[in-house]
Amino acid sequence: MPLSKNSVCNERVFERVFEEHGTTLRNYIYYKCGDTALAEDMVQEAFIKLWDHCAKVPIENAKAFVYKVAYNFFLKDVAKKKVRLVYKQGSIPKVSQETPEYLLQEKEFQIQLETAIANLSEKQREVFLLHKIEKKKYKEIAEMLGISVKAVEKRMHAGLVQLRKEINYFKRK
Amino acid sequence: MEKNYDDTFLARWIAGELTPEELIEFQKSPEYSEYEKINEGANRFEAPSYDRQQALENLRQQTTRKTSSKTRRLFPAWGYVAAASVLLLLGYFFVFPQQTTISTAVGEHKVVVLPDGSEVALNTTSEVQFNKKHWDKERSLKLHGEAQFTVNQGSEFTVTTSQGTVLVLGTQFMVNAQNDYFDVQCYEGKVQVNLPSSEFTLVRGQSIRVQNGEVFSYQNSNSQAPWLNDESRFQNTPILEVIRTLEHQFDLKITGKEKLTNQNFTGGFSHNNLQTAVKTVFDAMEIKYTFEEINQVSIQK
Repeated sequence: MPLSKNSVCNERVFERVFEEHGTTLRNYIYYKCGDTALAEDMVQEAFIKLWDHCAKVPIENAKAFVYKVAYNFFLKDVAKKKVRLVYKQGSIPKVSQETPEYLLQEKEFQIQLETAIANLSEKQREVFLLHKIEKKKYKEIAEMLGISVKAVEKRMHAGLVQLRKEINYFKRK
Repeated sequence: MEKNYDDTFLARWIAGELTPEELIEFQKSPEYSEYEKINEGANRFEAPSYDRQQALENLRQQTTRKTSSKTRRLFPAWGYVAAASVLLLLGYFFVFPQQTTISTAVGEHKVVVLPDGSEVALNTTSEVQFNKKHWDKERSLKLHGEAQFTVNQGSEFTVTTSQGTVLVLGTQFMVNAQNDYFDVQCYEGKVQVNLPSSEFTLVRGQSIRVQNGEVFSYQNSNSQAPWLNDESRFQNTPILEVIRTLEHQFDLKITGKEKLTNQNFTGGFSHNNLQTAVKTVFDAMEIKYTFEEINQVSIQK
């Protein structure tokens, strides 16, 4: 018979929570600060805190708990740093029969887009990337950030408007 | 055209939530292709890679260290000093075995997974120590306090305590090893208990208790340790042991124990409420008591 199946104090449950939420939490912090090492340290701190407080955190609150802890760490450590984002391009654009000129243009566009995303406000950027890269629904993002779905949608909309503006500015240059 | 969008329009578009009419209208607009390009471009990005396995490994080390640093050691520190000196004399011929220590604070439970997947559930103020590296060769751990074990089939599994050792092959059982009290309950399979003077084999439902050097056997009807459901249960248990459980479970101080006679308690209490638990035990035993402070009880009798 498994023991304390639903308690975070159960190492198995604890590790399952990490498996489920560790990566997204790390990426979320990364989208805010652009610093992988820092993001990973914070994730570690958040989960250690969860383990230390396991008796007081019901399983259904574990996700919110680590987000809250990581976010609080983030406020303390990073608020003044103004870290610039450096994105690594994960997937190379699909190779096809297109001309070298076209591919070059595409590549240039990706760089512009990357810069434009990095230049978004933190609030717009985290919403945009949580949705586009982490594939989170607005409702989930709203829960993570502790804001309304409407507010998430507004940030997403404003972020897209901003991205287009910035990319058009590049074009004109 | 663009000015007609409300302030969540593009959010709904990118999530695929526009009505067909809205979408057709939007696709006709000159800026549509630009937004579509941004959307597709964003699909090509991902976050820098994250070694989750490594992160989990780091986390495991951190949580074990943190847990063990909290509480008293199973063996006095000079033991380590002595051992270290011996090693020094041997010229570092041996690597000091890596002991993992897991302990719980007052009122705390923890369930720990051992390297072979067997589980230990630790009750309050208890501690286990084992060697992760040698686990595949020797499934052996030291216990002080109370724990339930769920042991996977495999080689012999040994629980060593100051009172005696418990050997099993794959089963579920509970051990409570205090300095002057030893209790083993078998819930499943078969357990061998080796005491300094004698050996016993327990099967499902059988239990053994050692108190003041005397061995008692009794039946248990539990399917798992009651404290896993946040309650304590006793069968003809000496009142002093019941009081110790109260103290450990609630961080309670009980004075005037010397006034008590040798009585046994049968019954139980929930860990949810201190006052109720104290009342349950003492009323049943007709012991008069008062709360001196929120966590201090003195026995009147």
